[in-house]
Amino acid sequence: MEEQTMAAGGSNADRFGADWEKRASDLLRTAHYDSDLGKQVAKDALRLVGGELSEAEFFERHHGAYVKEFGTDKRPVISDERLEKALTESLQGGYVSRRTLLKMAGGGALGLLLGYWSWLGSRAAGTVAGAAQGGLPGVAGAEEEPPPVTTKQYGMVVDLERCDGCIGLGTFARCTQGCSAYNLTSPGVHWIYVFSFKDENQDAVQFLPRTCQHCSNPPCLKVCPVRARFKRPDDGIVLIDYNLCIGCRYCEVACPYGVNYFQWGEPGPEPGFPVKARDRWVEARPPRGVMGKCTFHPMWQDDKATSGRVICAAICPRQVLQFGDMNDPNSVPNQYLKKKREEKGGYISTFRLLEEWGTRPSNLYIGNQPSAKARPVTPPITYEDVGLVSKRSDVLQGPDSWLWFKNAFRGD
Amino acid sequence: MDNQARMMGILKPLARPSGRFYVLLVLAGAAVAWFLFYAWPFQLRYGLIVTGLADWGSGGGVPWGVYIGSFIWWVGIAHGGIIISASVRLFKIKSLAPVARLAELMTIAALTIAASFIIIDLGRPDRVVTSVIRAFPLSINHSPLIWDVTVITLYFVMTGTYLLLTLRRDTHMLYDIMTGTRLPPERRSEVYAMRRRLPPFLAPLYRRMHIGYHQSEDKKVEQMVWFLALGLIILAPLLLHGGVIPWLFQLLPSMPGYFSAIQGPTFLSIALTSAMGAVLVIAYVFRRVYGWKELLPDRTFFVLGGALAFFALLFLWLQLQQIIWGSYAPSLGVAKVTEAKVESPFYWTAIGLVGASLLYLGAQLLYRPLFSVSRTVVAGLASVLAVFIEKALFVVEGLEYPAFRLYQAVPGQYSTTWVENSAILYGVALLVLLLMVMAKVIPVIEMKAEE
Repeated sequence: MEEQTMAAGGSNADRFGADWEKRASDLLRTAHYDSDLGKQVAKDALRLVGGELSEAEFFERHHGAYVKEFGTDKRPVISDERLEKALTESLQGGYVSRRTLLKMAGGGALGLLLGYWSWLGSRAAGTVAGAAQGGLPGVAGAEEEPPPVTTKQYGMVVDLERCDGCIGLGTFARCTQGCSAYNLTSPGVHWIYVFSFKDENQDAVQFLPRTCQHCSNPPCLKVCPVRARFKRPDDGIVLIDYNLCIGCRYCEVACPYGVNYFQWGEPGPEPGFPVKARDRWVEARPPRGVMGKCTFHPMWQDDKATSGRVICAAICPRQVLQFGDMNDPNSVPNQYLKKKREEKGGYISTFRLLEEWGTRPSNLYIGNQPSAKARPVTPPITYEDVGLVSKRSDVLQGPDSWLWFKNAFRGD
Repeated sequence: MDNQARMMGILKPLARPSGRFYVLLVLAGAAVAWFLFYAWPFQLRYGLIVTGLADWGSGGGVPWGVYIGSFIWWVGIAHGGIIISASVRLFKIKSLAPVARLAELMTIAALTIAASFIIIDLGRPDRVVTSVIRAFPLSINHSPLIWDVTVITLYFVMTGTYLLLTLRRDTHMLYDIMTGTRLPPERRSEVYAMRRRLPPFLAPLYRRMHIGYHQSEDKKVEQMVWFLALGLIILAPLLLHGGVIPWLFQLLPSMPGYFSAIQGPTFLSIALTSAMGAVLVIAYVFRRVYGWKELLPDRTFFVLGGALAFFALLFLWLQLQQIIWGSYAPSLGVAKVTEAKVESPFYWTAIGLVGASLLYLGAQLLYRPLFSVSRTVVAGLASVLAVFIEKALFVVEGLEYPAFRLYQAVPGQYSTTWVENSAILYGVALLVLLLMVMAKVIPVIEMKAEE
């Protein structure tokens, strides 16, 4: 794409120096969408203004990238008539507002970047309008859901032989720390939780990080009465639609892994990024009265620049967590597995958690499966030592009811 | 007891309420209002954090507690109505006929309360209608909770229809008493005496309840009710409390305390024990308050006590099955939860109460001179309490001992808060309130004389 663009706009190429790149990167960094795409669109828009590109060409050029980036793109503009049609649609609450489009076409580079920003915003607004027009989003989503046989299945290879719970680094569970910092989960909510245990005939404390297993036969999904719990058909991520969940906690009871954490009280601060992925509110900590759990960052996976990454794996100092498509032999986890197997002379011990329950979990663990005799122990450094809470029920304290009584009758 | 005396007796509750009635009404109303207008809004405002619930697993709590326990308890109690009513209609058990209507009213009230506990338990009750309706066509295929909602709704509609059908003839008679003018002279004083018992403002309601009534429909209604009873006696025990309610739990291998093929019969035996107990208690209260020694005769209590003894026996027998199964050569998860169960004082309190009731009721069945109405009612009350304890314990303990045993470092713990305690009280108070109000509006014993 880069080369193609450069070739097409060779005369203007010098316009985009290092300074421009830096400014654009700074502006786009906070947007959780592909910044490269943003820059490309900005450059091409300037070429459009300079007459090097026709409008149709301009739209056609990035259509594929748009689809990849934002899920569906309802404006496959290939001719001027269709461009016109797209513009008309945009005025009726479609994708790109005319205002944004004008900015993109006629504005300077900076205005363009701003336009890109506001286009993101209008897109978000457009989804609400679209949902209102297109009927109930939940049903639409549910009906489109094919059986859980997917071509892609995100998951992890977890190398327990490498995991020391970060004790060697003088801390504990960097993965949990990163996860709760990024997702702003409440105290004691460990979407990735590190078990510390001793197995029989073993002296050393062992560690086992547990995320949501993003099962292919998820019991939580089966029991959900409102289909708020769903599995994305194209990448196998199991998510909760925070706008549909009624908070019955049946998924939590049905899940054998204990990965669900209900939002019992007021949630923490708002995350500073858009929390919708493919028009559904599924990212970061859930609102009050709604279930939450490890999400595998659907927004990141939908973004070309960040797909194949999750915060816990990225932050892990021992490279314990290898995240990627478990069905692709060339993916990071499978390559890791292959390498490990070669290193160990062809044989390594692997297991999946509670596989006998028939949930078909995605995560594959390298190492010895904890036996039935495995006893949990207190790790040398605990969650409390690193500023987290290990047992959530200790911190679930409702407000003083008497105070509320007084406030309720104070009359303000 | 002649027909006149019988009618006058039946109409007694409809007469002007006494001072004691108002006192009880205010007390029950206050308990209901306390929960609905203070405790529940408090929970809605701050979330379920105001309960003793928490996450299982690393959270060290249980996500379901006394709300779900209460839900099962009330659904179980609701079974009394139809079991009794249907046995009167289908199997001609005449001795239970006097309590049939009362039991049906109890069913309607208990089902309402049970449904409300589902709503109370939700984190986002505001979404329940939109979210459930939206997903229903698909989630009905796989979510046991939706099966529950569906079957309970069906049960509610069928019971309501059943009650309304049987009320047509009664309301016609009442309306006739209240407004009839062409009375034969010899019946005048009799009808005027009855008319004085009835509050005139109910006349429009009675008129509407028997709209289109004609005496020739009695036979047809009788047939319709018979078929409804047949449907209900299959649906309620076999598909509801021996079906979708236990399936909520027994289909989940994640919790060994729940995962068992015997949960259906167990739930049913427990439910029917509490249902018989509740009918005994309610019938006794009416008998005491209105002096209905002849309308609700000893024989009725004896038969109800016998039924209670039978269900209590099943209750204990199925518990025995579970304990033997869970302790002889169980898998680890089952062993753990069974161990916890037999070590729990709550469990033995429940078993003790049911066991004592069974001993007494069984003895009086075999040796009639032991029979006394009040002792039978005490046994009934004990059974109702025992079932509440057992149900709450079942829900909580199942979640305290999950299959994934690496979590045993953070064992689940649970105790109720004032909000939950208010909810328990609200359930009982709402039953009292609903029964009091219904008894002031419709006759709680069928007016048709037994031939």
